[in-house]
Amino acid sequence: MPSNSLHKVPKLPSKIIQWFCKDELLEEIEGDLFEHYQVLREDHTKWKSDIFYWFHAFHFLRPFALKKFGQNSNIIIMYRSYFKFALRAMWRQKASTAFNLLGLILAFTVCGLIYLHVQQELSYDKFHDRAEDIYRVAWMNENPQTRTPHPMAQAMVSDFPEIESAVSLSPIYAPGLTKQSIKLTLEKENISFNEPDGYFVDSTFFDVFDFKFLEGNPETALNSSWGVVLSKSTAERYFGDAPAIGNRLSFDVNTDMLEVVGVVEDAPVASHFHFNFLISYVSLKSLNFNDPWMSWTDFGHFNYVKLKAGASEEVVEAKIPKWATMYLGWPEEAYEDLLNGIDRFDLQPITDIHLTSNIRWELEANSSYTYLFIYGVSGLFILLISIINFVNLSTARSAQRLKEVGVKKAIGARKTELLSQFIFESTLTTYVALGLSLLVIRNLESEFNNLVQGQIDVGLIFSTQSILFLIIVASITALIAAIYPSFYLNAQKPGDILKGLSGKKIGGAKVRNTLLGVQLVAAIVMISGSLIINEQIKFLKNKDLGFKQEQLAFIELDNYEDKSELMKTNMLQISGVESIAALSNIPGGQFNQHPIYPEQNPDNRVDASELFLDDDAMSVLELEIVAGRMLNEKMAADSAGTAFLINETAAKELNLEDPVGKNLFWVDNENLVKGQIIGVVKDFHFKSLHVPIRPLIMMSRHRGFNYVVASLNAENYSMIIPQLENEYQKIFPQNDFVLKFLDDEIEDLYEEESRTLLLTSLLSGISIFLSIAGLIGIVMIAIKQRVKEIGIRKVLGASIGQILVLINGRFLIITGIATVVGIPITWMLMRNWLGNFTYQNGISPLTFILTAIGLLALIFITISAIAIKTAKSNPSLALRSE
Amino acid sequence: MKKYQLGEFEEYVLLTVGVLHGDAYGVTIREEIQKRLERKVSIGALQSALRRMEDKGFLKSELGETTKARGGKRKRYFKITALGKQALDFNMETRMKLWKEIPDVALQFSTC
Repeated sequence: MPSNSLHKVPKLPSKIIQWFCKDELLEEIEGDLFEHYQVLREDHTKWKSDIFYWFHAFHFLRPFALKKFGQNSNIIIMYRSYFKFALRAMWRQKASTAFNLLGLILAFTVCGLIYLHVQQELSYDKFHDRAEDIYRVAWMNENPQTRTPHPMAQAMVSDFPEIESAVSLSPIYAPGLTKQSIKLTLEKENISFNEPDGYFVDSTFFDVFDFKFLEGNPETALNSSWGVVLSKSTAERYFGDAPAIGNRLSFDVNTDMLEVVGVVEDAPVASHFHFNFLISYVSLKSLNFNDPWMSWTDFGHFNYVKLKAGASEEVVEAKIPKWATMYLGWPEEAYEDLLNGIDRFDLQPITDIHLTSNIRWELEANSSYTYLFIYGVSGLFILLISIINFVNLSTARSAQRLKEVGVKKAIGARKTELLSQFIFESTLTTYVALGLSLLVIRNLESEFNNLVQGQIDVGLIFSTQSILFLIIVASITALIAAIYPSFYLNAQKPGDILKGLSGKKIGGAKVRNTLLGVQLVAAIVMISGSLIINEQIKFLKNKDLGFKQEQLAFIELDNYEDKSELMKTNMLQISGVESIAALSNIPGGQFNQHPIYPEQNPDNRVDASELFLDDDAMSVLELEIVAGRMLNEKMAADSAGTAFLINETAAKELNLEDPVGKNLFWVDNENLVKGQIIGVVKDFHFKSLHVPIRPLIMMSRHRGFNYVVASLNAENYSMIIPQLENEYQKIFPQNDFVLKFLDDEIEDLYEEESRTLLLTSLLSGISIFLSIAGLIGIVMIAIKQRVKEIGIRKVLGASIGQILVLINGRFLIITGIATVVGIPITWMLMRNWLGNFTYQNGISPLTFILTAIGLLALIFITISAIAIKTAKSNPSLALRSE
Repeated sequence: MKKYQLGEFEEYVLLTVGVLHGDAYGVTIREEIQKRLERKVSIGALQSALRRMEDKGFLKSELGETTKARGGKRKRYFKITALGKQALDFNMETRMKLWKEIPDVALQFSTC
């Protein structure tokens, strides 16, 4: 070993050892490491030796070598004193402590709940084991839809090597394509429920989706015809805790038709569809009738495929058009759009369906990223507002502790030590607030869920991820709130502080006013944003849909047999029933759709929604005819369903100048129906206002009548409805009476919007409350500083009014600036949201003017209320003390 | 006998301290063990074993001179105490006793 040239050991590990090692062991250990290092350097390169050195140094992290951080450790003593100081300071200023805590609790609670909501929305369908490989096949033409032909799923499995398994499924639809509730009965116990969410599924259902089996065998359950798989909650309704498997249930009037072959866990909340019971398609096929619904011609099923791990969906998507032409059986020219990519079969990742897919026949109403964005931004704004409040109050408070800081600095506290004290104090406050807000969140579960009609599992807030999120939020809050005051105080010279020169003047007014401005911008965005949402929803509700909505009751018919005429005649006898009609669909709901084309121009095929109605329906719904005549079932063609009414949009898309009297083909699956246009109906919004008016064809078809619609006298619903039920039961003694009011149904279409309105109103209320509370704090400081000035001004003859204007002036200017900044931000954000609607209200400047005036007035009143006391007080009181 | 409890590694360290009589400190002990037993020993593990045995009273130590090779840090030399010797003796005796009592049959490994 060349003793003259010793190698220097790496510094950092030595430092670490010095920090944690017992002093009495240190010399020897360092010596050993040093000597060893010299040896190492003989044989090894520097970096290798360094690594060994690190390795050995870390092997001293053993109990025997560690310092005891006990009573006598400086660190412990110091933090104990910080703790004491913090508690004393908090206790001394109870009001501001309480306010700080309240603001932070509110902000953390809001953030936590929004976080949970966003997490839930993002987690949709991720519960499947290989969710990333599951896709839904959607048909993307000019009016895209979720449904594709039934044989497609299994054909894809056999023809594409990339696809591992596939399932075709469909909700049990009533002929009007409304989801149908099926009455299931357990005969021996006489338990019977109308079960919604029943599905026909391929036997491969459980190959694609992962639902846990509680009873039965997933491999074979769906192979048998008329076997039924129940969800757990459904099984409990009939069998309680007893095993369900092997029991028989009646399907509507078909006694004991179904055998329970399995019970599975309920689909989680975060699933894009939920089912109560599943019946295998095998059952339908066993009926041995040639249902066109099960063929390639009917785009009437939901098809899901599971790709092999690692396979790319784009490859499959690219192969589909050519492949599909082998099966679809369309005329050659109809493939054109498919082959050149205008119409596509898309594979939608199942995990994206909930937030991005909003096409026809979604199984359940989906949401969109826009809403997550709105909630996220609102949460951030509220957090921002309360962080600013916290910072402002901390600065103001720290200024009152100048003496303490002065003494500490004079006896040698370093800047970092003061900083760590402030960080410690703000961390303490935020963590207390965090703890309390967790309690609040836990206790608000049902209230919150009721309010937003959500199903958030608040227990998840205690998951590692959520807690980590909240701790990060709280730590950032604490850090921001500590850094500014400590820099400000550190900048003061200890001598000056102790002399008390700067003690009188609380600095940082500029920063505080800027922060106030930021706060107000956030508040303005939230207030005007929720006003715009409110306007849009009011606009949707008040928009003339083109038909009557009030006092219309829809009563479900059993369409196994057509008794609509009888029902109409009987119900019309009831006094209070003003008029009555039968039809297939509830306006606003789902409509079936088939192509139509005029005889004179067969190339011009247009997909048209269809509505079956009798001759009274037009008058009950108050639909307007713009050309031709209404249906009249006394005429043979009308009652045979070969007299068509079309809407204006259909006439326009069919390129018919004078449609009345023209012949039209209606492609009802396999049947080509030829009829004559007898009239054109004024466009009305038969679907929600989210989508534009589409072509519509209307005709009479008694088999298709799913509802009678009655116009009721508004004054005595309570008298009429029981009588309606009575008449209904006389005709359908086995069925349940279901009555829906049209205006309720239409309102439900805008549920998501109403929920957003409620939430944003609530959140903007909170933001106003917090900003105003912060403002009060700032104004109080400002007035305290200017007591003498106000006194002198009064002595010199200023009136109370002038003094109020003086104090208000600056804050009103800040508000003005904040408004100018806030308006374009809101405008941009809200334009994005309004993009969801086909029919937009637009953003009226009045909204912004109202927000600005309202906020200015509120601020003026608040400030004046605080200032009036000082402004009225005797100036001699203010000037006497020095 | 709880008093004489020695772990395997501790026993090696103790013996090595004996072998290196007069020149037993961290680095030499480690080198000796690595050389004889052909196994890697971290300085930390060795130091912790030395401390443990010092606490048990099997070893005593004193600080030596400073050398340049150690960056001016002093060495700590270890010596076996009487108790340490007893512990070693006890360990060896119990082992020998056990060794002797193994019946010959148990150690006959026929190749059938």
